[in-house]
Amino acid sequence: MNPVLANALLNFEPGIVIWIGITFVIFLLALRKFAWGPVLAALEKREKSIQESLDSAEKAMKRAEEISRNNDEALRKAEVEAQRLRKEAKEEAEKIRVDIIEKSRSEAEAVKQQILATIEQEKQKAMLELRSHVAELALEAASKILNAELDEKRNKKLVDDFIDGISKN
Amino acid sequence: MNKFVRTAFLLLFALLYVTPTTVIAQDEERNYGDIDVIAKLGDRYYIEFEPLPKLYLPRILISEGFHFFGSTKSAMNSGLFQDQFYVENPQAFVAGESGPVTYKLVRTDGTPVTLDLSISKHILWFWLAGFLTLFIFGRMARKYEAGIGRETAPKGAGMNFAEVLIVYLRDEVVKANIGEEKYMKFAPYLLSCFFMILFMNLFGLAPWGQTPTSDISVTAALAITTFFMVNLNGTKDYWKHVFAMPGIPKFMLIIMIPVEVLGLFTKPFALAVRLFANMLSGKMLILSMLGMIFVFAGLYGAGLGLASALLWVPFTLFIYALKVFAAFLQAYIFTMFSALFIGMALEDHSHHDEHHHAETAAAH
Repeated sequence: MNPVLANALLNFEPGIVIWIGITFVIFLLALRKFAWGPVLAALEKREKSIQESLDSAEKAMKRAEEISRNNDEALRKAEVEAQRLRKEAKEEAEKIRVDIIEKSRSEAEAVKQQILATIEQEKQKAMLELRSHVAELALEAASKILNAELDEKRNKKLVDDFIDGISKN
Repeated sequence: MNKFVRTAFLLLFALLYVTPTTVIAQDEERNYGDIDVIAKLGDRYYIEFEPLPKLYLPRILISEGFHFFGSTKSAMNSGLFQDQFYVENPQAFVAGESGPVTYKLVRTDGTPVTLDLSISKHILWFWLAGFLTLFIFGRMARKYEAGIGRETAPKGAGMNFAEVLIVYLRDEVVKANIGEEKYMKFAPYLLSCFFMILFMNLFGLAPWGQTPTSDISVTAALAITTFFMVNLNGTKDYWKHVFAMPGIPKFMLIIMIPVEVLGLFTKPFALAVRLFANMLSGKMLILSMLGMIFVFAGLYGAGLGLASALLWVPFTLFIYALKVFAAFLQAYIFTMFSALFIGMALEDHSHHDEHHHAETAAAH
């Protein structure tokens, strides 16, 4: 092989370096303007929008979670409140029941007392009436039987004494 | 298969020991056709799509004035310039008949020209790579501008594949080395580097194709661009590291400054040589492998040459596949190191030890 020919593979040509250097810079500028600029911007924008939608989805998820947690808490609170109310109502009712019973009992007692007093009164009245009546009847009967043999005044005294004896006994 | 390969190999090497002088004597008269391997590998001032005739490229020479010739031959016939081969071997030159051999033009008296600004084959293929990148990604950009891929998912295999590469380079190469804030400034340069080098590397694998990156001049131009990208964007800290390395005794600077300044130039030099040597060697290996068929045909006759092709062609295919991989790998490595160097130049606060380790590791 010709050594000059083989040497050509390692030749450093300044002319080629100049051409490539200049045209490479032109290609770089053109590529930046027409290719990479729009492509990179579009990629960036798409990634941003994806990230944004992911973020907003996460935010919405968090909010939903919070809401559901709040709901749970409210529900639990309401339940506790309801329980408390029920208990209170029950206690109140019990108290009212006891009160009513107490009251009715005392009222009944009063009525009973009143009735007993009335009965006593009536009894006394009846007793008095009966006494006078019995005395009259006895007097009448005795007078009828004895036919005025005795002095009315003495008889009456006799009978009264008798009756007094009875009532006292 | 394994057994077959081994047997074939043994047979071929056994044949090399049997010096077939008689066969060579018989074959001396025969001409198997001339294949100029160096012309396929090196730079030339013509383009060729066989079996179409060569299309000679114009020569632009600066030597005591500006000279323009339609082709190398017309430059030789002008009497002002001569192919270097004929300067060294004047007896081989037949005026008006002899064509160019090395295509390296010197003045007729043998002194070199001041500057050879001719458009060569490699420059043309470089431009092709540039226009191809511009065409592919410009179209892609228009698609993005129309809304496909911007608001919706990207459409089509090409767009998806390109996007995978772009996003990978942007995230793993540019952002990883340069950082989130400044990446937009350097991503276009590094992406252009990657795709143009990739296309140039792959051109050589196509029929009639040439690999401009197998030319040291081309890779040097690329590396010089990286050199400027690095040093024009260097921060104060970067220059301080070069000229006043912090944390070492003052008298050591006498040694450190030359080393660091040398380091500025070895980095792009390594970039250029790595890419050029990888690309050239791959192509050379493929041509050598296929050349073995002709060597065997020359030594043992056409029949055995043809038979040995059964061995060399699969080998070549294997190397070819390896070269496809290397085309991607070398484009990636060039981009990766460019990004690394730019990232190092941009570093603001000094992590002295880390920085220095990264630098030495990258230089190797």
